[in-house]
Amino acid sequence: MIKLIRLVLWIAAVAALAVGVYLITRKDKDPYDVGKARISDIESMARLCTIDIYNEAPVLDTINNKVIFAIQKQRGSISFDLDSLDTSYSGDTVIVTLPREIVEIHESTDPDSWQVIDTKSLALFVKDRMSLQEENAVKSKIRSRAIRQLYENGTVARARSEAAANLRSLLEMSLRHPVRVIDPDPDGSPYR
Amino acid sequence: MPVLLKILLPTIAAVTLCLSCSRQQESAHREIYQELKSADKMVLATMSITKTATIDKSRELFGKRIAVYSYDTYMRACIDLSRLTEDDISFDEGSRTVRITLPPVVTELSGREMELRKEYDNIGLLRDSIDARERAELKELANASLKEEISNNPEFVTQLTEEAKRKARSYFATLLSNEGYTAEIDFRQF
Repeated sequence: MIKLIRLVLWIAAVAALAVGVYLITRKDKDPYDVGKARISDIESMARLCTIDIYNEAPVLDTINNKVIFAIQKQRGSISFDLDSLDTSYSGDTVIVTLPREIVEIHESTDPDSWQVIDTKSLALFVKDRMSLQEENAVKSKIRSRAIRQLYENGTVARARSEAAANLRSLLEMSLRHPVRVIDPDPDGSPYR
Repeated sequence: MPVLLKILLPTIAAVTLCLSCSRQQESAHREIYQELKSADKMVLATMSITKTATIDKSRELFGKRIAVYSYDTYMRACIDLSRLTEDDISFDEGSRTVRITLPPVVTELSGREMELRKEYDNIGLLRDSIDARERAELKELANASLKEEISNNPEFVTQLTEEAKRKARSYFATLLSNEGYTAEIDFRQF
């Protein structure tokens, strides 16, 4: 009787172990699912784009005692709104004021544009997993930094200079009047 | 007492050493590659396309691990103004009309939102939260899926191009009406 009970218990234990191993090791369905794309907005505009930017940058940052190291590919542009140009006339000459620059930096749509190489914790008892809020905060800093560098390294100044020349050319061709483009802020203003 | 000190002092030293290792890493952001290209483009319309993606690594024995994220990708429609020459603009003083043949409207993906939006999550007590690597992997899959959808469905490009052409006509009409002209806008095919 005791031998029979022991045998039953052994069989039950082995069966339980087999089920456990099966559940842990079985191939799950694909954990990732992507929905259909949806057009959320279409905006019309008239913007003169004078610089296209492509950046590939390593990112090393710390937030809440967690470090992230990643590589990001960025795409951006510097452009100028032509819809509300400040225009006046002096005799036959059209005088146009170059508007404030619009500096945009996004993540590129090239493959592997956000590659997380590693995250680690600097403090005891703090997991190295970065939350979405923390990661978004790091990305926000990356974008601000990238835009600030464009002002510091003269890219915005170059964009403004080229915009003045291109705008003059476009308006002279279209209006058949001499055009003078005034730039009130040749280096651009990063602070809004 | 001396025995207590022999145990306490090394323990305090070890804890102090570990805590002092919690130092701030310098943040670094130096480009490894940068390209700045001069352009002479007029951007006439942009489209925001939202993509939603789910990660589900739930396991019966250990609990749920689900998160749903979304983000926007931007596509823009432009004309290359460097291809616009004086020959493309003709003035008819009799009818006060200007005929302009603009370069063809070209659409391109201009980038995607850096930040993800969390739409939903359900992480069991025994499970770890979704980490940055998993989110990056999910975004890559969504990115590849979006590009395939755009190339297989011409509706995206068609809608954006039509809006851009509408805007171009409206912009030049306004510009030239200030000079007393009516604008007739055409677009080159190539």
